[in-house]
Amino acid sequence: MFKKNAVAAGMAAFASVALAAGCAVADGSKDSAVDITAMSADELAEHLIFETDSFRDQEMQEGGSWRDRMTQDELQKACSMEGDPDGETAGRVVAMARAGYERPEGGVELGDWRKGAELANSGFGYRQGHNTDDHGQREQGGNCYNCHVFDPRVSEQGTIGPSLQNYGANRGTSEAVLNYVHEVISNPHQYFPCTEMPRFNSDRHQLLSDEQISHLMAYLLDPESPVNNQ
Amino acid sequence: MFKKALLALPVAMAVGAAAQAGEWQDPNDVLQNLLQNNPDSKYLHQSEMNIMMMPDNPALWLVEEGEDLFYAQRGPNNVSLEGCDFGKGPGELDGAYVELPRYFEDTDKVMDFEQRLVHCMKELQGFTSDDAAVGQRHGNGSDIMKLTTYIAHQSSGMAWNPPLDHPQEQAMRDAGEKLFFRRGGAMDFNCASCHGDSGKQIRASVLPQMRDGQEWTKAVSWPAHRAGHDNVRSQNHRIRGCVWQMRHAGIKHDTPVNTALISFWNDAARGEPAILPDLKR
Repeated sequence: MFKKNAVAAGMAAFASVALAAGCAVADGSKDSAVDITAMSADELAEHLIFETDSFRDQEMQEGGSWRDRMTQDELQKACSMEGDPDGETAGRVVAMARAGYERPEGGVELGDWRKGAELANSGFGYRQGHNTDDHGQREQGGNCYNCHVFDPRVSEQGTIGPSLQNYGANRGTSEAVLNYVHEVISNPHQYFPCTEMPRFNSDRHQLLSDEQISHLMAYLLDPESPVNNQ
Repeated sequence: MFKKALLALPVAMAVGAAAQAGEWQDPNDVLQNLLQNNPDSKYLHQSEMNIMMMPDNPALWLVEEGEDLFYAQRGPNNVSLEGCDFGKGPGELDGAYVELPRYFEDTDKVMDFEQRLVHCMKELQGFTSDDAAVGQRHGNGSDIMKLTTYIAHQSSGMAWNPPLDHPQEQAMRDAGEKLFFRRGGAMDFNCASCHGDSGKQIRASVLPQMRDGQEWTKAVSWPAHRAGHDNVRSQNHRIRGCVWQMRHAGIKHDTPVNTALISFWNDAARGEPAILPDLKR
């Protein structure tokens, strides 16, 4: 389902790029047919992104074109406000996130915490532009350490998200905990609508494989993991 | 110009005049005032080493090299950049940098600083995109960064004041605000993911908050010597780096997405004195 959609979207986007290239000038705002003052701020922002040749035409690691990546889905649109969402928006985002979630067949399992530690402390993957990450050369990481403290002995870790030190030690490894953590890593908007945290496996795309997510879960929950021995 | 300004400063201080908005100030003095006024800002105080190095900011070398380049007769047309209008008249550099982006009648569009500089190097001096003089945008060795640092330095200590009188200026600023909060890309980030709160860190870096003008003026005060890169970097380089880390698509230079973002950035720092050039981690 996911891949088919991505390919179809990519082809549709390619067609529209080819069309746009016919009439676009290198510098979009020189196009005198366009009156930017007649647009709403939202319309102008979309115009600037998609119609002014501002982005490199590259293949995205998750499949599709730059247009696919820059096109907002409903959840991204709903969360593009300053500050916290209002109650109605929060409810809608949670519902969207839940509707798109699928638990793995056979249930949630913990992988290898050592591999999870490497993934949590890797910022590689999905970057595009002047220096594009080649996933064929190196496995993509989870970027977790940019925002969460897991184990201060490893390296300096970020504080945009909550500290996860002793996360598993405080919660155990019951089925309910495993299911919850899998849901949060896959699509955290199920519990934290409009959170800053990325969706690592959602109906938009799968940034980390099921196996990689199982390793990250082990890093968080395995009693042997250094996260739980502090 | 740079040396003259340095000599003038102690005189101003000797007569006891407090620096006014609109008055040139040494970048280190601007920084010291910000630090004193914001003793609790983790962002402003994060690097004792950089604060200590500020009087000997390596970016100041580029100011001198940039001055030579600005007045040199160059390019196929063999003219200097004294004919370039950055918004305050040909060759008028005092305060020009903090009043950009702005609408230019000759191009009928809003241009940010780098766009305008490149425009002049092409139209006046006759360089083309194939010439390294305009093709090379980044690094201490590039003409663009030398010129940027020299020209920006002429606005040090002056308050950010990008004009919004022209409808296109207001439109670009408002679109920039939308872009700042627009969630997108592979990881759903917007600019506010990192710049919505005070005192938060990405790994070891303390992040500036956009709605805190005193943090934000330092955040947008590029050119700055970036210690981790050992090079002077521009506002456009910062945008490119942010967009790359955010897992959006690869942004091109001289494009209006940059201009709109910078229009909003500089407006968000309005009224606060610019540190030009700054020194960052």
